[in-house]
Amino acid sequence: MISKGATWNSNSCRIKFARRFVSALLHMRNRNTRPGSLTIEGVRTHTQRIKIAAYLSMAQAVGSRRAWSRAVLSKHGSRARRHSRMGRSSVGLKKTRVIRSYPPGELGQAKKLRQLVPGGKTMDMCSLLEETAHYIKCLATQVKVMQTLADNFSK
Amino acid sequence: MEKESTTPPNWTTSSFGMEIQPNELNCAAADQLPNSFFNPNWDNSVDHSDPFDSSLSSIVSSPAASNAAAIPGSNCLMITELIGRLGSICNSGEISPQTYIAGNTTTNNNSTNTSGYNTPLNSPPKLNLSIMDSQIRGRLPINGHQVPFHPTLVPFSADPGFAERAARFSCFGNTNCIGLNETDLPYGVMPGMEYGKMSNASSNQQFKLVGSQMGVKENNKQEGNVAVKRKFIRLPRPSTPENAELGDSREGSSVSEQIPGGEVSTKVDSDANARKRKSISRGKAKETPSTPSAKDHKTAVDNEESNAKRIRQDEDAGNEKDSAKAKAKADSKAAGDGNQKQSKDNSKPSEPPKDYIHVRARRGQATDSHSLAERVRREKISERMKFLQDLVPGCNKVTGKAVMLDEIINYVQSLQRQVEFLSMKLATVNPRMDFNMEAQLSKDIFQSRGALPPTLYPLDSAMRSIPYGYQPQQMQALHGGIANETENRFPVNSLAALSRNPSVQLPPMDGFGEAVPQVSAPWEDDLQSVVQMGFGQNQQQSFHGSGAAAQMKVEL
Repeated sequence: MISKGATWNSNSCRIKFARRFVSALLHMRNRNTRPGSLTIEGVRTHTQRIKIAAYLSMAQAVGSRRAWSRAVLSKHGSRARRHSRMGRSSVGLKKTRVIRSYPPGELGQAKKLRQLVPGGKTMDMCSLLEETAHYIKCLATQVKVMQTLADNFSK
Repeated sequence: MEKESTTPPNWTTSSFGMEIQPNELNCAAADQLPNSFFNPNWDNSVDHSDPFDSSLSSIVSSPAASNAAAIPGSNCLMITELIGRLGSICNSGEISPQTYIAGNTTTNNNSTNTSGYNTPLNSPPKLNLSIMDSQIRGRLPINGHQVPFHPTLVPFSADPGFAERAARFSCFGNTNCIGLNETDLPYGVMPGMEYGKMSNASSNQQFKLVGSQMGVKENNKQEGNVAVKRKFIRLPRPSTPENAELGDSREGSSVSEQIPGGEVSTKVDSDANARKRKSISRGKAKETPSTPSAKDHKTAVDNEESNAKRIRQDEDAGNEKDSAKAKAKADSKAAGDGNQKQSKDNSKPSEPPKDYIHVRARRGQATDSHSLAERVRREKISERMKFLQDLVPGCNKVTGKAVMLDEIINYVQSLQRQVEFLSMKLATVNPRMDFNMEAQLSKDIFQSRGALPPTLYPLDSAMRSIPYGYQPQQMQALHGGIANETENRFPVNSLAALSRNPSVQLPPMDGFGEAVPQVSAPWEDDLQSVVQMGFGQNQQQSFHGSGAAAQMKVEL
């Protein structure tokens, strides 16, 4: 069904994500000049921020093409981000949308999946699976990039 | 039958009226009529030579059979046998369900084993049919079964039960369609009926009958008898469990089915056509069935679905799981028979292990537009599941939606955990950076720089002029300065060196490529250009290797 040009697509996705993520990281570091980074709390906070930055970067790299990326963007930062493709309106709309109605899913697994995939609560099974596929792909890319980063940083 | 010539006109005209009246009658005589219907005696009395008349008359005349409700299984059996008999008669001719609506002609009698159910018997058949309908209806709502008109009964000639069932369906469907639509049978019509197993089974069967009839009717309208048979062919996979359940019924219908089955089998290929017809017929059917029937269908289907669900799981391990809707059930039920037939006819092993793939257009879901939509939906879902299977490692052998979903969920969770872990690692590994220095450095560097040359290697030379020229070597000051606050690894002097040295060696980012060295916003433009250039080069080399294999040259 959705066999996008696997390599190219993942590459571009990866590149975009990497770029954004790194810049986000730097930005964060820039902001937190000398926070109590060695404290556990500090590390935890930093971790959280990095994690959010990672997801946001990935969502931005994907743009608003995907429902899950839109959901992530609306959830974490509706502020204008550079390179955001779609208009803010869509993101804003996403936020205001009522999202509590679980479509009649098949079993509890679908519910779990909905919780895992951002924005999956309102999707029907069909689109949920589609979004899951794309989300998995992007997640894998994200993991790889972060892995590389961490490895490089820790060298 | 000779009677048909005279009866058809009357029958048609009065069909509707008759439908209603007989229904009412049936309601009244529900207990009795069904009893008689299911009465084994009736079978005995059925004469193949003149099955319709004799059987019907026997049914009508022997209202006292009281075992209808008492013997769920036998009832079904009875029904199936009856239908089979009728079917056999019809088989002799041609199935033209349409005909009886329009007034069965002599030809119809022969053909409409399924459809001619009404014609030869005229009022009695109608009565019976209406009775059946009422019974079905009565059962349906009670059991909460949906009545998914499944015209899919007959496709498989190999299975005699199917033939009979098909005959049944066509007969019932035609008349029922009309009658059912016309009349609002109270659900409590069949007080005497047991709404337990029997109703379920019978309702299933009957639903199929009705459905098939409906579908047949419409098909006939569109394509004639042939179309009708075609529809029968498509049956969903989960036929086996259903068959098991309705085994007796199937067997009963085998007789009639065989004949049409043969014809039908040829049509197996025309799934597409059937689908189209179905959609068309569905559209039409939608209008025809009255609300109660629709409701009945829904409820009945639900029940059926639950039953079918179990069955299916046995068989398909969850093919129909998500579509716990009427369609699924209806399909599965009809498919059950159909599948058996199919397997026999097509010598296909029962559907592939992946249940969700095997969706077929079933005939007769005319009244249930949801079924068609659901089937399409299910196909889409299965398609996506297959795609997901490729994505998730180690899911090739997994079959079944439930297991597959579990795997997907686990994989997503593991990926998210990995992200969290890596972010923690990054948080600890990347302590604060002396950003200011780097920012300034980069600014200076970039400002001093002009446009970057477009190639990687040429870039190297160019990079020399650029402080961030990247050489595929170990990570250097810039990166270290940025990344590692721990002076251990990347002492500040490296930064200084970076600032001093126009050429900075950036660490190769495996599978990463370009974006890593992005230091700060001011650099971005330059970085982008560099990165892109470098990236292009990298790609050529082996960018795809996300692992450490490829040392990406990162240029800033």
